[in-house]
Amino acid sequence: MESNTQGTSRKFRQLFAKPEYSSILMLVVMIVLAAILQRNFFRPSSLILTIDAFSPLILLTMGQAVVMLSGSFDLSSGAALSLYTCVLTWIMKTGEPFSGVVALLVTLAVAILVGIINGFGAGYMRVSSVVVTFATAYVWLGIGLFIRPTPGGDSVNWFNAFYDFRNVEGAPQIFQNLGAFLPPVLLLVLLACGIWYVISRTRLGRYIYAVGGNEESAYRSGINTARVQIAAYVINSIFVFLAALFFVGQNQSGDARFGDPFTLRTIAAAVVGGIALTGGKGSVYTALVGAVIISLVNKVIFFANISYAYGTLVAGLIVIVAIAGPQIYQIYNKRSAEIKRSPA
Amino acid sequence: MKILEATGIEKHFGGVTALAGANLQAERGKITGLLGANGSGKSTMTKIISGVHAADAGEVWFDGRVVKYASPHDAKRDGIAVVYQNLSLVANLTVWQNIVLGNERKDKLFVDDHHAREVSRHIVEELLPGLDIERQVSGLSPGELQIVEIAKAISEEPKLLILDEPTAALELAQVKSLFSHMRRLAQRGIAIVFTSHRLWEVMDICDDTVIFRNGENVASVDLDKDGRDTEKIIGYITGEMEKSRAAVKKQTSPEQESVLEIKGLSHGGALHDISFRLRRGEILGVGGLAGQGQRELMLALAGFYPDLTGDAILNGKRTRLTRPKYAIKNNILLVPGDRELEGLFLQHSVYSNIVFPKLSEPKEPLFMPRSKYREECRETVDALSIKIGGLNLPVRTLSGGNQQKVVVGKWLSFNTEVLLLSDPAKGVDVGAKRDLYEYIVNRVRESKMSVILYASDNEELVDYCDRVMIMYEGRIVEVLEGDEIQADRIIESSMHVEDKPERK
Repeated sequence: MESNTQGTSRKFRQLFAKPEYSSILMLVVMIVLAAILQRNFFRPSSLILTIDAFSPLILLTMGQAVVMLSGSFDLSSGAALSLYTCVLTWIMKTGEPFSGVVALLVTLAVAILVGIINGFGAGYMRVSSVVVTFATAYVWLGIGLFIRPTPGGDSVNWFNAFYDFRNVEGAPQIFQNLGAFLPPVLLLVLLACGIWYVISRTRLGRYIYAVGGNEESAYRSGINTARVQIAAYVINSIFVFLAALFFVGQNQSGDARFGDPFTLRTIAAAVVGGIALTGGKGSVYTALVGAVIISLVNKVIFFANISYAYGTLVAGLIVIVAIAGPQIYQIYNKRSAEIKRSPA
Repeated sequence: MKILEATGIEKHFGGVTALAGANLQAERGKITGLLGANGSGKSTMTKIISGVHAADAGEVWFDGRVVKYASPHDAKRDGIAVVYQNLSLVANLTVWQNIVLGNERKDKLFVDDHHAREVSRHIVEELLPGLDIERQVSGLSPGELQIVEIAKAISEEPKLLILDEPTAALELAQVKSLFSHMRRLAQRGIAIVFTSHRLWEVMDICDDTVIFRNGENVASVDLDKDGRDTEKIIGYITGEMEKSRAAVKKQTSPEQESVLEIKGLSHGGALHDISFRLRRGEILGVGGLAGQGQRELMLALAGFYPDLTGDAILNGKRTRLTRPKYAIKNNILLVPGDRELEGLFLQHSVYSNIVFPKLSEPKEPLFMPRSKYREECRETVDALSIKIGGLNLPVRTLSGGNQQKVVVGKWLSFNTEVLLLSDPAKGVDVGAKRDLYEYIVNRVRESKMSVILYASDNEELVDYCDRVMIMYEGRIVEVLEGDEIQADRIIESSMHVEDKPERK
């Protein structure tokens, strides 16, 4: 009996020891809290609203997670998001459906270029990624302001398909009906998951972990570490690009400034989701969970009727607990293990 | 059949000659031992063959053609695999992921993990049965890490396998299974070059051996034909050593009063039960082969290891050595070995580097007495004859030798009781080296300070030390005194030949 309880307590401890598990546990707690505070949390219409509100951060965080796994940071993802919305609405002309296709392809090319530039700076030029992307963030902002000094711009009608199927005019009835319970952004998140699923099983996926874990060792094993870093930034850019599609579908306009607040939240969300700040450790899927947790924190505070000033404070505290908790636990665990190992 | 032939290899690092026309051969199916004292050039030789360094002169012939590798990657592609002492593993990947890292086979688009596991399991089972290949490398012991590193090299199916001190971290049983695997590889026709400090291992596993001394190969012995004569090989390693020039007059009768007494010092796997007495006004040398715990001993005495066990008695009082601040409070100061990493603020001026340690003194006034400090600083510079363009120039503009003088100089203005020097003259030219040591010796004689000196160059120990302790695998195996302090004696005890029967 005694050994049995010991076994369960060890299992329970193991549950916390891995940041992946503790983030899922935290997710459950947050969902329960949200569901208690917001009575209609699970009603389809409000679930769709929730998913619409959460998904952009999820996409950006997944991208940030890939970059962080490779041992770098991207401080320009918010600015890049804004830039993509500007480019999309700059190229598109209302009433010319084909211009939407052109805009989509051109912006995708821009996104890939953005990734290559960031990766080139961090990988080949060997400048700290924080410095590189901090600088490029201003470049993206500058270009965005150049082509769209004030928020606005054109959009084609079918871009609504990235926000709500029901808003697409002239689409078949089934499509319209689908919109009642399927938010398109969910498909974008699934697409991002699919892309990562494929990449994570290729050499590139393994190398992203290897370079983030120990760049020197990876290099000595014959891996072109700079190329791997560029690839990580390009994947990130593509995920950010998916988020830009959603925003243009939703707002039908571009804005060179609105993405900034996202940047640091993506890093916080990735860390809450178990991605190591030092790189090489964690999973992109649990980073997704981290993004949901961070979003739920805001939601819970809103529905708990806490005043805005306190709300921000509480949100900050929750993030600290989420980040520090598993680490303190690990340090404690390591120390007790060392004490046990050393002979008395 | 010959597969590798390096002839007339020369290599200089700055003013230091690492290799002066050295030759090395390796044959398919044979295990060639590479022996030599510290700094004899054997590591440099392996690094030139594997493309880490480029040779200044000479030719490397490999597998039918003359090769000149620009990077380790090129050498690897040609079938040269190297197991380095400092490992090339990624901690957050599993054992099998590390073994195939950089060499993954593809199954259409995806990596062929099934094949990778198969290959890894196969090799690991031969080298270290029972090691779970699904484990993360971060949780492995040093010995297991070394095995994984070796497995990684073997998985590349090389034609030439170079093992640079692979056994240093291994236990005896692991060494045995490594050796039997090496024999199997040799039977398959792979050429193996094996370096080790442990003479008995070379005797045990190698078919022939090449001995390096002062950057040249001085002898090669076919162990099967010529027999396994340990004495003869030690003779080759030490050579006809020049008798000590006694550059500095030795302390003939060191005062018996002891300053620091260490009893049963241990730290992890690096230091085992170390005891010694340091007398006042004495220069106590620490010698032995590279990496036998000398650096760790210096760090331990400077209070770097919180988990240190053992007793330290300083001037008759028990002291703790578990924090750097305890050591500094007791006037035990460490001059670190790697000046660029540990000893200097390279971007800062000579002046601020020398003044910096003073700032932590409790009696420091609120505002710095600049002119007084500059005067003191100038005195230090003169005393050590540091060649500088000006006190305000950044330290990085100085030559290596002068940089090292700054590292020593900044501590010497203190009322030091015990000065720990961790290979202070590494990479320093001969003239600067002499200046440095003469200054230190004078300080010792004047102020009755005591010095513990670890030098990787035996000559420095011979020239300047009153006593020399030889370390081997984290223990002190011998203490040489007076006339015993000769280069050949040091090398002989360093090899620790008596070790053989006990281990076999």
